[in-house]
Amino acid sequence: MMKIVHAAIAVALSSTSASAQDLPQQQNPWFTDAQSELQQRLLRTPNTNRAKNIILLVADGNGVGTNLATRIWQGQQNGMLGEENVLSYEAFPHLALSKTYNTNAQTPDSSGTATAMMAGIKTKAGVVGVNDTVARGDCQAAEAGKVSSIVDIVADAGKSVGIVSTARITHATPASAYAFSADRNYEDDSQLPEGCTAPDIASQLFDRLESGVIDVVLGGGRRHFLPDDVIDDENKTGRRTDGRNLIEEAATLGARYVWNDETFAALDLSAGEPILGLFESSHMKYEFDRTGEPSLAEMVMAAITVLQNDEDGFFLQVEAGRVDHANHDGNLHRTVTDGVAFHEAVAKAVELTNTEDTLIIATADHEHAIAFNGYCGRGNPITGLCYGIDNAGTTHTGVPELADDGLPYTVVGYLNGAGSVIKQEAIDETSHAIERLHAAGQEMSGVNVASADDGNMDDTWKITFAGQVAAAREELAKTETGDDAELAEGEGLWIGSRTALTQEEATDPDYIQQALIPRSSETHSGEDVAIYAQGPWAHLFDGTVEQNFIFHVMHHAATVE
Amino acid sequence: MRQRSSKAVLDLDRRGLMLAVISGTVSLRTLARESASNDIVLLRDLYNKDLSFSDRALSSEGKRLSVTGYMAPPLKAESRFFVLTKRPMAVCPFCESDADWPDDILAVYTKRIVKVLPYNAKMTVNGVLQLGGVKDAENGFYSKVRLTEATYRRGA
Ligand SMILES: [Zn+2]
Repeated sequence: MMKIVHAAIAVALSSTSASAQDLPQQQNPWFTDAQSELQQRLLRTPNTNRAKNIILLVADGNGVGTNLATRIWQGQQNGMLGEENVLSYEAFPHLALSKTYNTNAQTPDSSGTATAMMAGIKTKAGVVGVNDTVARGDCQAAEAGKVSSIVDIVADAGKSVGIVSTARITHATPASAYAFSADRNYEDDSQLPEGCTAPDIASQLFDRLESGVIDVVLGGGRRHFLPDDVIDDENKTGRRTDGRNLIEEAATLGARYVWNDETFAALDLSAGEPILGLFESSHMKYEFDRTGEPSLAEMVMAAITVLQNDEDGFFLQVEAGRVDHANHDGNLHRTVTDGVAFHEAVAKAVELTNTEDTLIIATADHEHAIAFNGYCGRGNPITGLCYGIDNAGTTHTGVPELADDGLPYTVVGYLNGAGSVIKQEAIDETSHAIERLHAAGQEMSGVNVASADDGNMDDTWKITFAGQVAAAREELAKTETGDDAELAEGEGLWIGSRTALTQEEATDPDYIQQALIPRSSETHSGEDVAIYAQGPWAHLFDGTVEQNFIFHVMHHAATVE
Repeated sequence: MRQRSSKAVLDLDRRGLMLAVISGTVSLRTLARESASNDIVLLRDLYNKDLSFSDRALSSEGKRLSVTGYMAPPLKAESRFFVLTKRPMAVCPFCESDADWPDDILAVYTKRIVKVLPYNAKMTVNGVLQLGGVKDAENGFYSKVRLTEATYRRGA
């Protein structure tokens, strides 16, 4: 691919009007590269073939911002400065921005967004495969609100279907391919509310395996397929209370079951479907921690190899489910390493298919409350501290930028999450903190008086400081005398400030990026995500679209005469 | 007018300096405590990548050591037990019906009733390392590795 681009440069320059004008910058590599890009695009023709195969790859929680972090990380891992890197799907010719909100939520959740992509309609947050009339948790209403997914449509056309995820295979995104449920949490029967007669999500997956709609299933979530008195191959217990062992039942249907990297590697991929791979009791491991399990790219390779045996073609849904989870943790290191696993999975899908007959869509369901600080120099390690811009050179200065508190900060932070600089102090801790603050303040005032050339300013400062301490004490007094009934015993004030941070700490794989608002789990955000596409009718992805438009392009591409 | 704005800027600088001094005070105190206690290990140092016990863990079995991490919200009030995790326990209320424990956790049995620390405050636990699977008779919690007779403090 890269070779073709480079070879095209020479041809490109001789034939453009810009070069004919003899501009002083025309030999600049930025200029010649862009000229060659232009030539490539002038040669493009829309692919209006009917799509034999469709592959929808979703990196959960990988909005435009998160994706930037992964792009730079992956580039830096390969010896680049990073910003110039191009991830596998970023080389796709077509792109749109996707508006991800749910009908009742500005900030979307994965089940509402997955239903939009798979069924072509937006719906409420937290429901799967049902329309907007169903309130989350209203079990009885689900049946009436049931919708069909792209899986039903392609299966009717004789195509094979595969579902792959690093999350539980009963989790929101994969569930949207085969299930309807008033609540995404109804992953097995033990999670159904009292009196609910609707089927749980795992049992619906089994039904689709049994009826021959779904052929390949690879992911986590083993516990939802096993009874609660059964211990699995990794010593974890099942969750089902109806006594059904869906793994054994699948085996009696002729499904080949695998549960770790060894049994997965031993699969004869030419021996056909169905295949059921459940590699963890809950979610599969983060790529950074992965042991004893196949990678996402390996699962994609296996799925495509099996599904390609169908002459009618196939539909494959792939989810990198844990980019989202690492973001929820506020841990950028695992976010980007799972992001790279997604990049590799897309590259594998591209490698194993033909763009003439296979529509490949890479997207995300929603973004997170991730944000990027400035002003950081070129090649700045993306998980690390923000270093200055070198005015005379290219690469960053290696000198941390300092905030107004005199402390360095990382390039990436989160608006909320466990990395919050604000922490809850127990009551006695709070009083200690105030004492500490007070002592430090006195010490500080002393320093200031001695060294300051403007005595008034120090007075101003002392007054401000004394005011803060007084306010804190007042708040504290309330809690101690029980004036504020809402503060239970042992609870204290939420206070905090940033602390010193080294590059070694910031780039540690377990580092939690600083955040503002304290929340144990960082949140999704309503920001746009990108849709990258190649293959038949990929050119329909253009501009800013509603997320449910994705279904309509897949549907058109699969059924066009 | 002009003077006032330059004062405001200086004020901000002073404030920044003061916060730095506060954090400096804290870290100096922490340093002093650390040098007094024995070696501090990270939770991840107890495990190999395949989740088997590391040489470090095997050689420390039965000995007292200090481990840093975060206190998971306790299962039960007024107990002498909590779980130490590598990163704060994050449960997305939208995405999960319950919390899954990570594989690499440490069960901590404390000398005194547990006083809960904020979920996002780094902490250090000192206790006697015990290896091997044990199910707690009282709360049913299964652990592969534990610190017993433990004391703990906020900070790393
Ligand atoms: Zn999420």
